[in-house]
Amino acid sequence: MLFALRVAFRYLTANRVQSGLLIGGVALSVIVFVFMTALIRGLALFLTVQTTGQIAHVEMEPPRRIAEVMGPDARFAAQPISTFQRQQIRNWQLMVDQAEQLDHVVAVVPEVNGNGFLVRGTAVAPIALQGIDPSQIDAIIPLSKSIIDGSADLSTGGLLIGAELAEDLGLRAGVPVILRSDRGIERLIPVTGIFRIGLSNVDRRVAYLSIAVARPLLALPNGVTSVSIKLDDPALAPLIAEQLKRQLPLKVTAWQEKNRNLETALESQGRTGNFIQAFALIAIMISIASALLLTSVRRRGEIGIMRSFGISRGFVASVFVFQGVIIGLAGSLIGSALGYRLCLFLSEGITGPDGGPLLPIAPAEGGYVLVIVLTVVGSAISAILPAQAAARLDPVEAIQQ
Amino acid sequence: MTLLKAEGITKSFRTGDIDTLVLKGVNLVLEPGEMVALSGPSGSGKSTLLNILGLLMQPSDGALSFMDKPMSGLTDKQLSAIRNTHYGFVFQFHHLLPDFTAMENVAFPAAAPAGGISAEIRDRAKMLLGRVDLTDRIDFAAMRLSGGQKQRVAIARALMNKPELVLADEPTGSLDRENSARVMALLREINHEDRTSFLISTHDPEIAKCCDRQINVVDGRIA
Ligand SMILES: Nc1ncnc2c1ncn2[C@@H]1O[C@H](COP(=O)(O)OP(=O)(O)OP(=O)(O)O)[C@@H](O)[C@H]1O
Ligand SMILES: [Mg+2]
Repeated sequence: MLFALRVAFRYLTANRVQSGLLIGGVALSVIVFVFMTALIRGLALFLTVQTTGQIAHVEMEPPRRIAEVMGPDARFAAQPISTFQRQQIRNWQLMVDQAEQLDHVVAVVPEVNGNGFLVRGTAVAPIALQGIDPSQIDAIIPLSKSIIDGSADLSTGGLLIGAELAEDLGLRAGVPVILRSDRGIERLIPVTGIFRIGLSNVDRRVAYLSIAVARPLLALPNGVTSVSIKLDDPALAPLIAEQLKRQLPLKVTAWQEKNRNLETALESQGRTGNFIQAFALIAIMISIASALLLTSVRRRGEIGIMRSFGISRGFVASVFVFQGVIIGLAGSLIGSALGYRLCLFLSEGITGPDGGPLLPIAPAEGGYVLVIVLTVVGSAISAILPAQAAARLDPVEAIQQ
Repeated sequence: MTLLKAEGITKSFRTGDIDTLVLKGVNLVLEPGEMVALSGPSGSGKSTLLNILGLLMQPSDGALSFMDKPMSGLTDKQLSAIRNTHYGFVFQFHHLLPDFTAMENVAFPAAAPAGGISAEIRDRAKMLLGRVDLTDRIDFAAMRLSGGQKQRVAIARALMNKPELVLADEPTGSLDRENSARVMALLREINHEDRTSFLISTHDPEIAKCCDRQINVVDGRIA
């Protein structure tokens, strides 16, 4: 077997141009594979970070009333629910303290949320009101970094609105606007600042205000409507949510549950990537198979003479399989190294207009071990056909030619 | 012990719908240490007979025994092993492996089954190259040798595994007169010193004269 490896090496070095081209072709396909893998994984990473950076990782809300009244006891089922009674967390301070005890929790934000309208002249825009403590302005979304007009200071009793909403209503920082809550309460409130997060539904729909201002507007003097939690690792959200569910009588949701779309998008993106990876591999296998088939035809006479002096079919076949493996190994190693350099260059060397990388490539995520293993295995498999063709040669026919 | 015994060997080739009977019942016995010439007109079936005796081709009918063992019903692997250890082959066109050196070519039949060129194998290959007078060409690439030199390397290769029988199909067919004489002298010398048997097909009556006896093939039969 070892001697077959040596013969394979000799055959490859005897034809440097062909071997070089072949290894180059394999390396090129491997570069495509690495680039696609790094791009798709990088994109997934980028989207996840982007998403989790702007949302609560875990959200706690009051338990559904429905669940309580649908108990097995018929007397309770008949009990009417007052539609005026808001769903709220009354003893929220306790819940916040509990949540703050947990590992990986970096911020716990009690919120008083509701709906309403902004009215300016004849223009009316529906908005989602979020009342938070002014000191926690950046706890969930980096709001103060996203201010494009005015300031992020809610302690003065003003309103923070998104850029798209401001455009719709023609508002600027410092301009007062009528805020009408869904409780029917109206106030004239100044716009303190205007932000642009980059998420359209936030920039068009959400208005932030101090929790102290929100309470009378939403007629919630004591309780809160929800508690948002930020973690140091977004991936741990389902685990933390489970933990909180066991400790507190609340409805607890991890961000992954509310962002199924992202998961689906990432999955379909991954499938696209798999297609391209598969085609890169098929290209490698076809080029190796055809080149080795050509070699086996060119070396017919030699193979015939080997067979005549008693070299086994297995030996002849392994010479060809080894050639495939050597080409695959060399090509995938070179391709991986070059692919990594390319990804590094694209992620660091080329920057977009905002100074960040133009492509969200993750050079470390090129799937290097995978591509090397797949290429070597694929090359061995694609060498089987030429190997069999060579091993089956009739020595007499081969020698006569 | 009889070295090689062929009884009633026939061979027909099928081309399209036509069967051509090339060998029409060949009987032949070779004793150890014999050097025999196989002569006959072109197309009489010399090469075909050598290929069958050399286990490279199956006869259509007839029995073949080598070193008193029947050679029928063996697998390709078994036949390969017998060729490797007991036979040597020399062909008209030397058929060296062009990308290997003279030494590697000679060592190949021993190195492949052994898994590499051991010091022992290397020494024997060099010794054989010395014997065919190519000591100064040991590390030459095979494709850089002259025709006569190539044929001598092929002879050294045939002797690598100390065969009992060397089959040579027109070994001097592509050489000039001087080189032919040199190769024949070499074969004769090896035959004398090692008691290796030779069966040499040839058109050349000069070469046939060098041998112990001559077998004449005419129209697929031994005349
Ligand atoms: N594979 C084959 N298929 C069909 N016919 C064949 C085949 N091999 C040989 N023959 C025929 O068998 C006959 C004998 O051929 P062979 O090569 O044995 O002759 P030869 O005595 O060696 O001739 P030469 O002295 O010219 O080498 C020829 O007529 C040839 O055409
Ligand atoms: Mg012939």
